[in-house]
Amino acid sequence: MTTITTPNGFTIDNSGKRMVVDPITRIEGHLRCEVNLDQNNVIRNAVSSGTMWRGLEVILKGRDPRDAWAFCERICGVCTGIHALASVRAVEDALGIKIPENANSIRNLMEATQWAQDHLVHFYHLHALDWVDIVSSLKADPRATSDLAQNISPWPNSSPGYFRDVQTKLKKFVDSGQLGPFMNGYWGNPAYLLPPEANLMAVSHYLEALDFQREIVKIHTVFGGKNPHPNWLVGGMACAINVDGPLAAGAPVNMVQLNLVSSIIDRTIAFIDQVYIPDLMAIASVYKTWTYGRGLAGQNVMSYGDFPLHANEFSEHNLLMPRGAIVDGKLDAVLDVDLRDPSQVQEFVNHSWYRYPDEAAGLHPWAGITDPDFVLGPATVGTKTDIKQLDEDAKYSFIKAPRWRGHAMEVGPLSRFTIGYAKGIADFKEPVDKMLTDLGLPIDALFTTLGRTAARGLEASWAAHKMRLFFDQLMSNLRAGDLAMVNTEKWEPATWPKEVKGIGHVEAPRGSLGHWIHIKDQKIEAYQAVVPTTWNGSPRDPSGNIGAFEAALLHTPLADAAQPLEILRTLHSFDPCLACATH
Amino acid sequence: MAAEIQTFYDVMRAQGTSRRSFLKFCSLTAAALGLEPIYASKIAHAMETKPRTPVLWMHGLECTCCSESFIRSGHPLAKDVILKMISLDYDDTLMAAAGTQAEVILDEIPKKYKGEYILAVEGNPPLNEDGMYCIVGGKPFVEKLRAVAADAKAVIAWGACASWGCVQAARPNPTQATPIDKVITDKPVIKIPGCPPIAEVMTGVISYMITFDRLPELDGRGRPLMFYGQRIHDKCYRRPHFDAGEFVESWDDLGAREGYCLYKMGCRGPTTYNACSTIRWNGGVSFPIQAGHGCIGCSEDNFWDNGPFYHRLSHVGAGFGVEATADEIGGLAASAVAAGVVAHAGLSAVKHLRKNRKDDHPSPNHKTDDGERL
Amino acid sequence: MLDRTETIDVDASNTPVSAPVYVYEVPVRLWHWTTAVVFLVLCVTGFLIGDPVWPQFIGQPYHHFLMGEIRLVHFVSGYVLALAMLVRIYWAFVGNRYSREIFLPKLWSRVWRQQLVKTIRWYFLIEPDSGREIGHNSLAQITMFVMFVVGVIFEIITGFALYGEGSGYGSWSYALFSRWVMPLFGTSQEVHTWHRLGMWYLVIFVIVHVYMVIREDIMSRQTMLSTMINGWRYFKDRGQ
Ligand code: HEM
Ligand code: HEM
Ligand code: NFV
Ligand code: SF4
Ligand code: SF4
Ligand code: F3S
Ligand SMILES: [Mg+2]
Repeated sequence: MTTITTPNGFTIDNSGKRMVVDPITRIEGHLRCEVNLDQNNVIRNAVSSGTMWRGLEVILKGRDPRDAWAFCERICGVCTGIHALASVRAVEDALGIKIPENANSIRNLMEATQWAQDHLVHFYHLHALDWVDIVSSLKADPRATSDLAQNISPWPNSSPGYFRDVQTKLKKFVDSGQLGPFMNGYWGNPAYLLPPEANLMAVSHYLEALDFQREIVKIHTVFGGKNPHPNWLVGGMACAINVDGPLAAGAPVNMVQLNLVSSIIDRTIAFIDQVYIPDLMAIASVYKTWTYGRGLAGQNVMSYGDFPLHANEFSEHNLLMPRGAIVDGKLDAVLDVDLRDPSQVQEFVNHSWYRYPDEAAGLHPWAGITDPDFVLGPATVGTKTDIKQLDEDAKYSFIKAPRWRGHAMEVGPLSRFTIGYAKGIADFKEPVDKMLTDLGLPIDALFTTLGRTAARGLEASWAAHKMRLFFDQLMSNLRAGDLAMVNTEKWEPATWPKEVKGIGHVEAPRGSLGHWIHIKDQKIEAYQAVVPTTWNGSPRDPSGNIGAFEAALLHTPLADAAQPLEILRTLHSFDPCLACATH
Repeated sequence: MAAEIQTFYDVMRAQGTSRRSFLKFCSLTAAALGLEPIYASKIAHAMETKPRTPVLWMHGLECTCCSESFIRSGHPLAKDVILKMISLDYDDTLMAAAGTQAEVILDEIPKKYKGEYILAVEGNPPLNEDGMYCIVGGKPFVEKLRAVAADAKAVIAWGACASWGCVQAARPNPTQATPIDKVITDKPVIKIPGCPPIAEVMTGVISYMITFDRLPELDGRGRPLMFYGQRIHDKCYRRPHFDAGEFVESWDDLGAREGYCLYKMGCRGPTTYNACSTIRWNGGVSFPIQAGHGCIGCSEDNFWDNGPFYHRLSHVGAGFGVEATADEIGGLAASAVAAGVVAHAGLSAVKHLRKNRKDDHPSPNHKTDDGERL
Repeated sequence: MLDRTETIDVDASNTPVSAPVYVYEVPVRLWHWTTAVVFLVLCVTGFLIGDPVWPQFIGQPYHHFLMGEIRLVHFVSGYVLALAMLVRIYWAFVGNRYSREIFLPKLWSRVWRQQLVKTIRWYFLIEPDSGREIGHNSLAQITMFVMFVVGVIFEIITGFALYGEGSGYGSWSYALFSRWVMPLFGTSQEVHTWHRLGMWYLVIFVIVHVYMVIREDIMSRQTMLSTMINGWRYFKDRGQ
């Protein structure tokens, strides 16, 4: 085979030189990427493979549905808590449990906290080194760096002395000859475009962000007892509130804890708006000519919608993050998404290491099957335990291929912002328009690797401000005398119907997440999760559609064919999470 | 700010040790080792020039929450551990290099620092399907793990995954996920269980090893005693309510709002060895029980299969398809036996009476002891 | 008559029929009743430790120590049970022949095995009459061993393993028991489960035991209850 055009409109050509990148690092979990490069080192074919599987869906069978959140939470410790939320929602949906308003506010607050922290860590610690050349920052002039920093942000850590100090430490570190995590990086690669001063500023904030992210998550610790992996509860939250009386000090949530939460929210907003966003803009202004990585962006995007302002209401008008799907780039026609409709979300496995009775067809998650089947195609190079090259015409990934009405979809911050933008919602339209104006870019520039990264930043800011909203909502509810935190009416399994099904959906940091549960005789009969990175990292499907990762890599030129910097850049813009994707 | 810490000496300086005490430390070390005083200066020299210990942090089947926890450490700050105490030469989650540039590090460091690097493992290897449920660089993770372990000075098992197997090893463990000490059998594995472990416990163990240049004292199961020597329950601030017999009876009841004991809500604090109730989480902000939910026992072997989480008594026998608590099983068996006893007593009484009646009208042909007795 | 019992009775066969025999010496009887009492206490307190059934009461915790007291009673009874058992084992070495029966069922003896069959038939109401024993019959011996001796030792070992966790890493009970018992069963949680199952195992034994004692007292050819009170076994055979 040489050239084919996929039903979703991409031209792939696997004739050129094959390049394998495995492991893809600075992500969660194990991802392998193979590309074919033409003679100009332009990517003409991309193959993304999830190379781990744990079998959570199998393990959940037969368990107590009230325990499921804890198992699901361990699907991922990076988007920690998100799967737990999807799980408790699925169980509550199945059993018809209505949670109290306080629990809703706290869950929203914890989710927004998770977004803010996860986006921040992604930007600085998983993604920044794709744009920032650490070694180049040694050449920076600290005074000029200070000017740059003060020019773009009121953030106080910006004196020349501050940057000089960072630079001196960095220099000593480099001189020690032990580069640690920065060993063998692609320093000096021509694809790095930032001036030394911007690099130094970014490196300083890399370190500051590493210190600060641990503050944000303390909100989870207050309400869920720890982070990563805070505790959740079917029916509400376990963190009873007590703000007066002699035993309030020993209560999970009291005035001291509430004040801590409030102060963290203020500091989170400040950090994101004064450090993250300005850094993002500085980077974007330099890289705005690097317009690769479009893939499915702006074409097929989806959001399940989330952040119910009031409890138990998942209809569009109550969701602060909108729901919808855009197909074939029709921004003016946002379609509605119904997760219960068996014809909408379906998963295919003909290119995945799973078995279906009929692999030409997809299965809705309520009818889903997870039955592993690790077989390699005939064109595989290497052996079963030493794979040199995958055969993408056969099964080649532990990620299933979810499709919405048959379409491969991209999910995540950019998709959400696209839908919010298309719906004309000010929360999304205004920051996007402002950013584009500031950079002097058309709307189309949003649908790129850089746009994905930018949308994540805008979303971090959105989430940080929403944290304040949910906290204030909680406080006003408490002021009104409502302390209720859990609905225990259906806690006892004896009160449950014999057989029920439910859906829990969440917008996770990386995109749309759904859990489908089937409860029978008080036990989990079947459980299926379709996860953001399952969407984005999906392999091909029976009709030949390619997923978002593969599509976004196409047509990207590599500055140095021996260094996969641009591949990392585009894959990282999705913030891949493989433990999530395969679960 | 202090100079960049590159050597053991610098680490000690950064932690407040003066040059004088450092030299004293060296002479004491020499004395402790039974060496001539002259060796003190040699030790000092070695410590002043020794490179930072390379750490290779490998990931198997996991969720990366252990890494996430690690970077939450407040004292020492994760960045200080990474940049000053150790040399984190390989870590999929944080390292700049990828693909071949990453792979060569795993080949080179063990050669260059043979017997001197620490292997830290997050997650575990699956053994089913020839190990191919976790593939790195086209090969089974377990193969790389064994290779890198071969020349390590010490092996750290981060979290419940590496220590016990964790969630992927819960019944029916479809991938045959296996704790690392079942695969690395020729050297001690320091287990830091928890799902995830507390950040400061993770950095505490690392800094202990770097500062004192020795392994922490371990319990019989490979856990550092200093953090896993006591149960949550032994130092829980709700313990007075436990002893009083004051329990939360249902979520969000009065007791829940007053911090009563969560025992009846299934708290596993009494059977869980960890430092949550002492060190607490995220800089001492709270810990699971303080936040109102029972401990689920996340640092214990097999805790996933010792559920359900909201019952004080675990289910037993789930492997055989029956799931019941000890009381349900025992109570049922005892009732069955009691019923048997009652039935037996009834039959015996009938027999006894009939026999007595027969005894009243003995048949000459019926030869029993009683008959004889007459 | 004697020729018939000949093959059945192991020890009693040579003894004059009607003469009472001194079977349970004082230490055995004292031990038995002590064990019976502390066992009941251990069951009640143990049950409540795992499942504190009382409703919530409200107040400052320092006004109450209910759970603490229940646990204390359990631990004290546990100690008594264990020490009494040690004494009883010692007595098996120095006491009379009957003091060894529950520890050493004579599986190797053909006569013993025949008697086992006969007793089982007797309990299935097939055999018209009980055997005549001075000590325990074969079935009683094996049951005493498998259910009582093994069960109680199991409870003592798991009990002290749990106790060692509370006493702490350096304690003797930790060193002697917890250290190996916990990994043997998995973890502390599993030991709790097994300790509780062990209680039910013994409860089953006691139900059967007490029933059998009363039944035998009424239906068999020898005394039971009074034997465990005054030590003497009387026979209800002819001439009695
Ligand atoms: C009200 C309750 C009880 C009564 C009336 C009772 C009565 C008796 C009697 C009469 C015997 C002698 C049987 C014989 O001569 O063959 C005996 C033996 C025995 N009983 Fe009990 N018992 C009671 C409770 C218990 C309990 C709670 C336990 C232990 C948990 C127990 C353990 C034993 C043992 C181990 C023997 C054998 C003694 C030996 O041969 O060393 N008994 N019991
Ligand atoms: C026949 C003997 C015994 C019986 C029937 C018995 C019964 C029980 C039961 C049912 C429990 C509750 C288990 C749970 O639900 O977790 C328990 C707990 C316990 N038992 Fe025993 N037990 C016996 C002997 C002993 C002995 C000899 C000791 C040693 C001192 C002991 C020490 C303990 C301890 C330390 C606990 C745990 C208490 C706690 O978790 O607060 N037991 N026992
Ligand atoms: N993909 C994914 Fe997650 C997220 N965000 C889950 O739902 O990362 Ni671990
Ligand atoms: S031990 Fe728990 S927290 Fe750590 S990687 Fe495993 S599942 Fe995640
Ligand atoms: S809450 Fe848990 S750990 Fe704390 S005293 Fe109660 S049972 Fe023990
Ligand atoms: S659930 Fe885990 S975090 Fe601590 S309190 Fe229990 S060991
Ligand atoms: Mg799935």
